[in-house]
Amino acid sequence: MSQAKGSIVQQAIWKTQAKTLGFGLAFSAFGTFGALAQQGSGPDQVFNIPDRPTLNFYGSAGLIDMPSGEALPDGQFVIGVSNFGGSTRTTVTFQATPRLSASFRYTGIKEANIAGFETYRDRSFDIRYLINKESRVLPAVTIGLQDFAGTGIYAGEYIAATKTFAGAGRIPGTVKVTAGLGWGRLGSSGSIGTPFGGNRPAFDTSSSGGELSTDQWFRGPAAPFAGVEWQISDKWGVKAEYSSDAYDTEVRQGVLTRKSRFNFGAEYQYSDTVRVGGYYLYGSELGLNVQIQLNPKRSLTPLRTPAPDPVAQRPSRNANPDAWTTAWVGKPEAPTILADALKPRLAKQGLEFVALKVTANSAEVRYRNNTYPATSVAIGRVSRAMAQIMPPSVETFRIVTMSGGLAQSAVTIRRSDLEALEFDPQAADALLAVTGISEAAPRLENATINQDLYPDFAWSVAPYVKPSYFDPDEPLRLDGGLKFGATFKPAPGWTISGKVTHRLFGNVGDSLRVSDSLIEPVRTNAVRYAGSDTALDNLYVSKQWKPGQNTYARVTAGYLERMFGGVSAELLWKPVGSRLALGVEGNYVKQRDFSGLGFQDYGVATGHASAYYEFNNGFRGQLDVGRYLAGDVGATVTLEREFNNGWRVGGFFTVTDVSSEDFGEGSFDKGILLTVPQRWFLGTPSKQTSTTTIRPVQRDGGARLSVPGRLYEQVRSGHRNALEQNWSGVWE
Amino acid sequence: MIRMKYLTAAAMGLALVLSACGNQPDQSNTVLKTAGSQLASIAKGGGARRKGKAPYAQVTQKQLENTKVPALQVNNETRGGSDILRLATRRNDSNPGRVAVWGGGGALQLFVRGGVLVGTRGIGGDIISADATSTIRAIAGARSGNGERRYFISDGAYGQVELVLSCDIETVGRSTTQVVHLSYATTHLRETCIGGANDNVRIVNEYWVQPSSGIVRRSRQWAGPLSGYFELILLRN
Repeated sequence: MSQAKGSIVQQAIWKTQAKTLGFGLAFSAFGTFGALAQQGSGPDQVFNIPDRPTLNFYGSAGLIDMPSGEALPDGQFVIGVSNFGGSTRTTVTFQATPRLSASFRYTGIKEANIAGFETYRDRSFDIRYLINKESRVLPAVTIGLQDFAGTGIYAGEYIAATKTFAGAGRIPGTVKVTAGLGWGRLGSSGSIGTPFGGNRPAFDTSSSGGELSTDQWFRGPAAPFAGVEWQISDKWGVKAEYSSDAYDTEVRQGVLTRKSRFNFGAEYQYSDTVRVGGYYLYGSELGLNVQIQLNPKRSLTPLRTPAPDPVAQRPSRNANPDAWTTAWVGKPEAPTILADALKPRLAKQGLEFVALKVTANSAEVRYRNNTYPATSVAIGRVSRAMAQIMPPSVETFRIVTMSGGLAQSAVTIRRSDLEALEFDPQAADALLAVTGISEAAPRLENATINQDLYPDFAWSVAPYVKPSYFDPDEPLRLDGGLKFGATFKPAPGWTISGKVTHRLFGNVGDSLRVSDSLIEPVRTNAVRYAGSDTALDNLYVSKQWKPGQNTYARVTAGYLERMFGGVSAELLWKPVGSRLALGVEGNYVKQRDFSGLGFQDYGVATGHASAYYEFNNGFRGQLDVGRYLAGDVGATVTLEREFNNGWRVGGFFTVTDVSSEDFGEGSFDKGILLTVPQRWFLGTPSKQTSTTTIRPVQRDGGARLSVPGRLYEQVRSGHRNALEQNWSGVWE
Repeated sequence: MIRMKYLTAAAMGLALVLSACGNQPDQSNTVLKTAGSQLASIAKGGGARRKGKAPYAQVTQKQLENTKVPALQVNNETRGGSDILRLATRRNDSNPGRVAVWGGGGALQLFVRGGVLVGTRGIGGDIISADATSTIRAIAGARSGNGERRYFISDGAYGQVELVLSCDIETVGRSTTQVVHLSYATTHLRETCIGGANDNVRIVNEYWVQPSSGIVRRSRQWAGPLSGYFELILLRN
């Protein structure tokens, strides 16, 4: 496997960039925060982001081939690519909480004649947990499970402790000393016995993997490992370790000669993000490790939102009582005049005026936010525009954010609070305390509406790149070309939309992997769908509306996705102030022909009941129970963490009544979700994001229909939890 | 075949140059991209660091004499370069010190309360709000003092991080402050603040105050973790 194609995650990120091309070159030239900072008052100090540990060959905190006891900073997202002795490991690690991290790894071992593959390729998952944070006396201690659910070539468990010594004696820089005990692979050399007893079954290549190997954890021989890391200067560091890994399989296959237990290396911190290292391992091999560390909390380019105009102040009532007259209400043209004044002011802020209703002392404005990733920023700007033009007698501002014809919520702000709190020492908290966030009526009766909104036609042309991962013959296949989109909105809530892709290059269709599924091949025929250059991705008509209090509804019909077409209906219950949302979705779909507009014989009724919950710190959980595309019945659990700046990292798994034998490789469906917002690279407000789903293997069990415009995400951004999370944006 | 490949590559290249285009409103927003100035370049980074710092603006006597409206010169200590900001508005509210909003009509603003920088907008990593009451009181009287400073700083997205610092304000001495061709008798105050997690954050602000009026003629103040220090020169109040 060549290095260039080795990194699946780099490719995923590249895909992300490709979607935002035209800006792609910009961010590489941007400086990093560190350089801007004055000593002692830089962003890391203020935002309290601790130093990051360096990575090992498994892409998690560690020495060279061995893990350390450290944890990465909370939220850290790292990519490690290492190569030595014919093995290339590409790992993505996410520090999900301050103590818990998860890794996903794709490995290629050249000429390892394991299970009959010329190059053995495997995917593995790790988790590790920081038991003890480093203190003055005690070291950081981490317990870890490596390759705990796969076919198990890297299966091993460990407990590791690391102590940091800085400014000790005459040694410059920082010295970290690590010692640990490993089991499984990490206990295969220099064992000191079997503390927890048990026999450990050998690595079995014929297993389909995917099941938790709980019977093996911490069983069999245990062996100690240790090492030292010396970060000499800001740029240079050296490492030495004593490894407890015998590399039994690799040595047996003749891909590696192991002459020593000691490994040595030197690492260079190229930039804040990138670190590279060269190593000498096991007395015979040269190795290379590239470590890329990103923290969603630190944008590549800090977001800059242009300053808003200061809140316009009304004249004092005592000094100018005439200004406070309510006589204007009697003029029938007053609402139109106000609406006409409001519209360009909102447009200037990147917002669209939808409707206005005024009385002598209150005004409700409905608007669309096409610009700001946080709804709070849009609300702040609408309220400033209202303060500029509303007659002084209007004291109550009701601001309703519209999304796809749905009223998300009504934010009620008293104009005098807005005037008084702009420069308050605790401006954001103080305003939130006196702001109401509540349910908005589906329609605003007797309002002055923006006549220019409907009918609306929009089109787009953009390049696309569509990867296909983990074909054993070619781990990354890529299609690319142009996508043409068109959307017509004849009236509020109605959408007629279509997307055509035209492939200009690619090799996804070249794969020889035809479906070998034991159940209905609802997803494994992807290769056959990739056969034609021009394809209709989707073409559908949908209507969404608010049927009543706290509820949202959608009906969609047409070619819903590349592989299925039919009808879909959804109902969502999501009170504005509730962290919990419940939904049901029912669909009847038929499988589409591999090319053209026709349908195959297979049809299925599929649908789910869903529960969504917003936990603290941006964590969000989702449970979907129902019937999947292949007619199998089961449930999907999704857990995702969303950062303030729009990064989302998560994972999901689906268990259905399809047995692991019938499911095939992987035993059950699972994968990683990664969403990167465009603004993280650019630093200008934008709602554009790119989402990538990476599955270790795509099978037919637990496959869910992909319907455009599901309700939850459309509604959530304007509700209390999302607004409070970003509330300071109201003043930006 | 080669020709075919060439065409494909050319078409792809064209697609990349064109990037995504369309008429949807969220595809581009020129209003937001017009923001550009020396202070903003801090956030943009890059150029200035490689080529060395941009010089500060040198205001001439004639320029100043021709300026009939309030003006504040802001020098960017970290990145170099200057901005001359107009006064957007002055406000009194329930807190001590009058707030001046500098940067009228522009994409960035500084909130200066009683001579003390208490807010920034449009710079990146902005100070959303700050409580500097004890500093403001000390400066108004051109005397030493101490107290707590409380900042709410944008986390670079749309969240805020609270930073509490403990500050000491000392009188350094009397000096003459030169602003272009004009000289002012001032008292030099130095404010040293320490706080944050593990007392990791240390900032030092300096003020040259006209004791008669409490006007801060010149100052060097911390403008947030991404911006570092700004030098504020009150050209015309």
